[in-house]
Amino acid sequence: MKLNLYEDKKNMNEHVDVYYANMRPVIRQLIDTVNKDRPTLSGRPADEDLDDGEEMILDPAEIYYLDHIERKLFAYTKDGVFRIMNTLASCEEMLWTYGFVRVSKSNLINIYKIRQLKPDLNMKVYASFDNGERICINRSYKKSFNDYLQKMRGIM
Amino acid sequence: MERFKQYIVELCCVYTLVSVLGAIVNIIGGTQTSNANVLVMFLTCAIGTFVLYMHKLFENVSPLVMIIVQYLAACAICAVMLLLIGVFYEPVSPRGWFEYYRSFTIPYIVLAGFYYYRVFSEAKAQNALIREIQQKSLEKHS
Repeated sequence: MKLNLYEDKKNMNEHVDVYYANMRPVIRQLIDTVNKDRPTLSGRPADEDLDDGEEMILDPAEIYYLDHIERKLFAYTKDGVFRIMNTLASCEEMLWTYGFVRVSKSNLINIYKIRQLKPDLNMKVYASFDNGERICINRSYKKSFNDYLQKMRGIM
Repeated sequence: MERFKQYIVELCCVYTLVSVLGAIVNIIGGTQTSNANVLVMFLTCAIGTFVLYMHKLFENVSPLVMIIVQYLAACAICAVMLLLIGVFYEPVSPRGWFEYYRSFTIPYIVLAGFYYYRVFSEAKAQNALIREIQQKSLEKHS
């Protein structure tokens, strides 16, 4: 799909025109994205070759957590795992008001998707998600995690 | 250097707390502490603070493993200290070894238990907070 971008600092009427042949899921996602005020992430299915897979627009509300493995960033959703081309730090900055909080060096979790926080007998605390997976909340991020929850309660 | 300064500050706080508690116990029990005991208490505080100060090395292991490893490390360093005292100052009797480790282990277990309780109670409070945020978000968007 051809993409034209026009930057005009004086433009007071920002708009998007979409020329399409069929209303495919990717077009629908584009429309949804424009209609929403929350940021989006784009990613390709993790199990496909980066050049082959069709890029998908991911709604942050659908992401359980972001995982940084071997210099690659993956988003875990109900529909699967997607490779994201952003950095974890940029995602943290972009998504912190949307419920995403850093819980370890390599994980950013969505608090709206947490089913339960559960400590193990070995005292490690895990966040469990609806998809059955769980992420460990690192001790050194415990305080910032708690501060974040307090801040989010204040915002709501 | 910065970490050393921080260690010294923490050691001062720990030693003050332990010596004040020791004085209270002496007043209640009507006992007195010898100069040697004061020095041993200070060395024990220095060892305990040093070992606990190493917690940043255990970021990737579970807290339970960290507590056990730190306890064993503290026991080992204290054993070296008691052996050195035995060689250079005065031999430590078997009863002395027992008393020393007892007075070291009991507070350690109590504090570890408190930490264990805190982990679970904090998780419970955070769960309630998350439920509240999720509920408010649902109400906001419905």
